[in-house]
Amino acid sequence: MLARLVRESFTRNPRRKILTGAALVVGMAVATATLTIALEVGDRLAREFRNFGANLLVTPHSDTLPVEIGGVDYRPVNEGAYLQEADLGKLKTIFWRHNIEGFTPFLDVPASVAEAGGAVTVIGTWFEHGVPVPDGTTFKTGLSITHPWWKIDGGWFQDGAAECVVGAALAAKHPAEFKIGGTINVVKDDGRGTKIPLTITGIVSTGDAGDNSVLVPLSVAQKLSGHPGEFRSLFVSALTKPADALAERGEMAQNDKNIQLTPTEYDRWFCSPYISSISFQIKTVLPRTDVRAIRRVAETEGRVLLRVSTLLWIVTLAALIAAALAVAATSATTVLERRSEIGVMKALGASNFAVTGLFLLEQLMLAIFGGTVGFIFGAGLAHVLGNSVFGTPATPQFVLVPIVLGLASIVALVGSLIPLRRAAHLRPSLILRGQ
Amino acid sequence: MATVVQIENLRKEFGKVCALDGVSFEIQEGEWIAIMGPSGSGKTTLINILGGLDTPTSGRTIVDGVDVGRLDEAGLTRFRAEKIGFVFQQFHLVSYLTALENVMLAQYFHSTTDEREAQQALERVGLGDRLEHLPTQLSGGEQQRVAVARALINHPKLILADEPTGNLDEANEKIVLDLLRELHTEGRTILMVTHAPSIGSLADRRIDFSHGHLVPQLAPVGSQRR
Repeated sequence: MLARLVRESFTRNPRRKILTGAALVVGMAVATATLTIALEVGDRLAREFRNFGANLLVTPHSDTLPVEIGGVDYRPVNEGAYLQEADLGKLKTIFWRHNIEGFTPFLDVPASVAEAGGAVTVIGTWFEHGVPVPDGTTFKTGLSITHPWWKIDGGWFQDGAAECVVGAALAAKHPAEFKIGGTINVVKDDGRGTKIPLTITGIVSTGDAGDNSVLVPLSVAQKLSGHPGEFRSLFVSALTKPADALAERGEMAQNDKNIQLTPTEYDRWFCSPYISSISFQIKTVLPRTDVRAIRRVAETEGRVLLRVSTLLWIVTLAALIAAALAVAATSATTVLERRSEIGVMKALGASNFAVTGLFLLEQLMLAIFGGTVGFIFGAGLAHVLGNSVFGTPATPQFVLVPIVLGLASIVALVGSLIPLRRAAHLRPSLILRGQ
Repeated sequence: MATVVQIENLRKEFGKVCALDGVSFEIQEGEWIAIMGPSGSGKTTLINILGGLDTPTSGRTIVDGVDVGRLDEAGLTRFRAEKIGFVFQQFHLVSYLTALENVMLAQYFHSTTDEREAQQALERVGLGDRLEHLPTQLSGGEQQRVAVARALINHPKLILADEPTGNLDEANEKIVLDLLRELHTEGRTILMVTHAPSIGSLADRRIDFSHGHLVPQLAPVGSQRR
C-alpha cells in the first residue's frame, strides 16, 4: 500500500514534485560539476604548474660550497662532488614514481671558446634522453619536460652528438661567430683538454645564466670535464599536493630529531605526494644528496591549489544549501497543500511515523531522481568547464555517483525536516474542520 | 446490552471558552444516537473527543472500555484505527487515490490491506462499478458512500458521523441515510451529528446540546419510529 500511495502521489499530483525534483537536479548538477573538477583540479593544476618548470633541485651532499652565480656553478671541475648518471633510473622506482614527470641533469664546465674570445661556461644537459629504468622500461625526459619555457631558434642538439645550442645573449655578442649551422671549438678552461668541435643547431633563450652559455649534450660536457657518467645537479619536476600541517611536520621530522611522527602519521605523510615526502623518497634512492624544494614554485603552486580547491568546496556547499532551501520551500508548500490528506490519514489511525515516513519516502525517491539526473547534467557541466578552463574535458567521476545520491538524500531530508515536523504536529481535529 | 460509550462530567476548554461543560451520558451497543444543537454548541468537540482526535480538559470518556482521556499520542492513534469509523461532512477522501484505494488506506493504517474485502465493502454501499474511480469522478453521494465503506472496513465499535448528509442533495441524502439505517439494523453503534430534525428523528435517541450543556431529553424518539 505504501508503494501504491507513493506511486499514485507521483503520477496524480506531480506539480510540487517536479519543482522539488528540479531543485535537486540543479543542486546536484552543480555539486557534481564542482566535485568532479575538485577531484581533478589537483592533478590538472599540478600539470599546468609543471609548465613553470622543476620544483625540486638535487645536488650532491657537497664537501665544498658551490660557487654559483646566476644558477651556474663556477667551481673548477676537480672540486666538489658529483652525482652518478647511472643512478637516475632509480627515481622511477620510488613510491610516488608516477608523480615524477621528468628530470634533467646539469653539468657546468668552465671552458674556453676561441670564437667567443675566451672563457664561456659550457652546460651539459639532456633535451630528450631515454633513461633506462630498473624495471626494464625507458623513461624519456630532459629539458623539454623540466624547462618547457626555454625558447629555441633553430633546433635542439641530438643526444650524444657533437652539437650545441648557444645562449641568446652570447650569440648576440658574437653574431658572426655564433650562427646556426656554424661550428665552434670548445676546450677545458685550463687548455689541457682536447678541443671539441661542435655544430651550432640553435640559439636558446633561457631567461637566466644559460643565455650567456653554450649548451651541449651531457655526454659532451662529461667528456670535456673528464667526468664521464657524472653530473653536478638535477632538476626534478614532480606532481605534488599542497603542503598542510602534516607535510610541515614531516619535513621538520626529517631535519630535527626532536620531532617524531607517529607510525600512522608517518604512513600518511609518506603515502601523500607532499613535496617533502617526495624529496625524502628521492634521497633514499640517491643517497649522499641534498634534495631541496624550489620554494618559489612549490609555494605558489600550494597557495593556488589551496585557493582553487577551497573555492570549489565553497561553491559545492553553496549549491547544496541552495538546493536544501528550495526543497524546504517546496516541502513546506506541499505539507500545506496536503494538510487535509494528512488530517484524514491521522483520523484513520496513521501514526506520526507513518505520515512522515510517507513524505520521507517521496523525498527519497525525488532525491534518487534528482541525484541521478543531476549527476548526468553535472558530468556534462564539468566536461564543458574542464574544456573552457583547463583546455581538456573533465572525465566523469563515477565514484561520485553514490556520493551525489547520498548528498541528494541528505539535502532532501534536511530540506524536509521542518515541514515534516510541522506535518507530524498537525492536529487532525483542526484540519478536518478546515482550520 | 453492553455500554459502548460512557461519558462522565466531560469538560473541554479552548482558552477561556468552555466548549463542553459537565456533559454526562451513556450509549448502549447498537444504539443510533443523533446529536443535535446549534452551531458552537459543542457537538463537533464531543465527536472529536469520542473519536480520539482531541483530549478533554477534565472528566472521563470511556469507549469500549478504553478511557480515551488517559491515552497518549500513540495510544490515541491505535484507538482511532481500531475502535472508530469516521464519516465526515466533507467526505475527506484522498484525492489521488481511487475509491478502492481510499478504503484500503484505512486497512493499511489499521493492520494489513485486503483488496477483496475493500471491494466487498464498496459493493455493499452500491459502488461495485466505481472501484477505480477517483473522488473527482464520483458524485457527492458516491463519495460519501466511499467514506462510509472506509469507516466500516475495520469493523469499528463506534461510527462517528459528523453531518454525513450536510453536503448532499436530497436523493443522495436518502441513499446515505438508508445506508446508516441498514448499519443500525445490523447492530452497529452510530453517533451522528446533524442540524436537521428530520434526520435526527431517524435515530433511536436524540441528545441536544446548547452552549456546551446537555438539554434534558423528554422522551426517546427513535423507538417510536421503529
